[in-house]
Amino acid sequence: MNPWLRLILYLVAAPVAGGLLAGWDRRVSARMQSRRGPPILQPFYDVLKLWQKQNLAVCPSQNYYVLFFLLLVIFTGALFFAGSDLLLVIFALTTASIFFVLGAYKASSPFSFIGAERELIQMMAYEPMVLLTAIGMYMATKTFYVHEIAGHGGMLVLALPGVFLGFVFMLEIKFRKSPFDLSSSHHAHQELVRGITTEFSGRALAMIEVAHWYESVFLLGWVWLFFASSPVLGVVMALVVYGFVVLVDNVFARLKWQTALASAWAVTAVLGFGNIIVLSLQR
Amino acid sequence: MRSLKKSPWILHYDASSCNGCDIETLACLTPIFDVERLGIINIGDPKQADIFLVTGAVNEQSKVVIRNLYRQLPEPKVVVAVGACAASGGIFRECYNISGGVDIVVPVDVYVPGCAARPEAIIDGVVKGLAVMEEKQTILAAAHGSIDKTLYARAEKPDAASIHALRKVAGQMEAVLHGDDTFPILQQSLEELQQEFDRKFFFKAVLNGKIIGSISGCLNGEVVHVDGLAVHPYFQNTGVAGRLLGELEEGFRGVKRFETFVGHKNERLIQQLAKLGWQNFKTEVFTPKITWIYLRKERT
Repeated sequence: MNPWLRLILYLVAAPVAGGLLAGWDRRVSARMQSRRGPPILQPFYDVLKLWQKQNLAVCPSQNYYVLFFLLLVIFTGALFFAGSDLLLVIFALTTASIFFVLGAYKASSPFSFIGAERELIQMMAYEPMVLLTAIGMYMATKTFYVHEIAGHGGMLVLALPGVFLGFVFMLEIKFRKSPFDLSSSHHAHQELVRGITTEFSGRALAMIEVAHWYESVFLLGWVWLFFASSPVLGVVMALVVYGFVVLVDNVFARLKWQTALASAWAVTAVLGFGNIIVLSLQR
Repeated sequence: MRSLKKSPWILHYDASSCNGCDIETLACLTPIFDVERLGIINIGDPKQADIFLVTGAVNEQSKVVIRNLYRQLPEPKVVVAVGACAASGGIFRECYNISGGVDIVVPVDVYVPGCAARPEAIIDGVVKGLAVMEEKQTILAAAHGSIDKTLYARAEKPDAASIHALRKVAGQMEAVLHGDDTFPILQQSLEELQQEFDRKFFFKAVLNGKIIGSISGCLNGEVVHVDGLAVHPYFQNTGVAGRLLGELEEGFRGVKRFETFVGHKNERLIQQLAKLGWQNFKTEVFTPKITWIYLRKERT
């Protein structure tokens, strides 16, 4: 497919797909707790409502940071789906997260401060695994370009089983799901109120939600890349991984940040690094 | 506008309840009632909530908290008082520490009866609140559309109470901006304001029968000292302040010189005044966090 076509498709379809995924997540979570749950379209209602609310900002500039967070998340996914360099994609993703953290630091609330600090810790936890995933894909395919990795022919997950499992572990952190929902929980009344999003309301919060939709589609696209030689299986596996993340969210309680960081790095070292060592020995 | 009714997020606050109503409120989240199927979420953050649900009677300590939380909810918002105590003080009404129902502190839109209120009744109350919220949204939208229908007129003593309330709201914004609660406009009592009416001229901006802006001026010799410029936060940046200043200048015909002072962090107002021909002539430190910028305007 033409990269421009893919790009436009991503820009238009990703928020719809991401919103539906979020709605499906809430519905399935409710069913797991033997509740009926909200309609699948609930996340769209929420965002539309937030868009109509009065804009309250402790500091007007905090909303600009959120705007750049949204734009950079969209940019990250755009690079990915246009078939660009994986390393560039990772740097764009990190920059986006940093803008989010800066926005939370801007408001002088202790809750958003601690949320921002924990978000930085979470970034520290998942960042090595993300880099190792890119490196693993390079070692298996000899390219960093997404479109060449996708057209590589072989099933990447067979060469990179450890990296794949490590990546799924990292997704738990990136989606801010239990046991790694340290910086901001999807459910309120926790010890940090709403953590990193405490001081955002109205349109800023709506933009954060939309950014999350784009982000989920981009991350699931990366899961698909592991199964790119069989596109249909790739889509199925992306959905299976998402379902697994939701299941884990409902089963586990929150970890302390020390445990979260240590376990993430342990997984990175054993599964990610181990896999890469095996790959380099095979050559 | 329909989405407003489909995703009400609730902030639950226990004023001094016996916990009966609190337990029933939380029961609404359980599988039997599951309010999330209506899109209702119990959110802990006032800035993201739409509905302020209060249980229990109000005492001296919870008064401040309720007022604070109410201010932090973005418009359009609805207050639901759950249970007999929240409505009137209930059986605790005569207690030495109880001031009464929630409506003595903030305006209440829906009262849910019961001791304790049943979960079905609470859900009913919230759904009723949604209709109120939609109505508020319509009024807000209409008010923004009809800002050019604002009336500007001299204010008299009977307006003092409304102007006092308006100054408190606008003063809050100033206090937040400067990080200092000792803003003079916040310290003034209603009696002091009423006395000011004897020596100052007051002007008001009225929209739909409500005062949304006010200003006062006092002639001292050759100079008019202007102070007390307050515009309701909803209507800031809509030209109300400029019109009020214009009305004031009209009111003091023949006077050549006007003087006023503004907190140094209110850069928006300082810029706006500069555009209207006001010039900075001195600064004065008021408190460590507030520096007054003195501005004056000469009329030719």
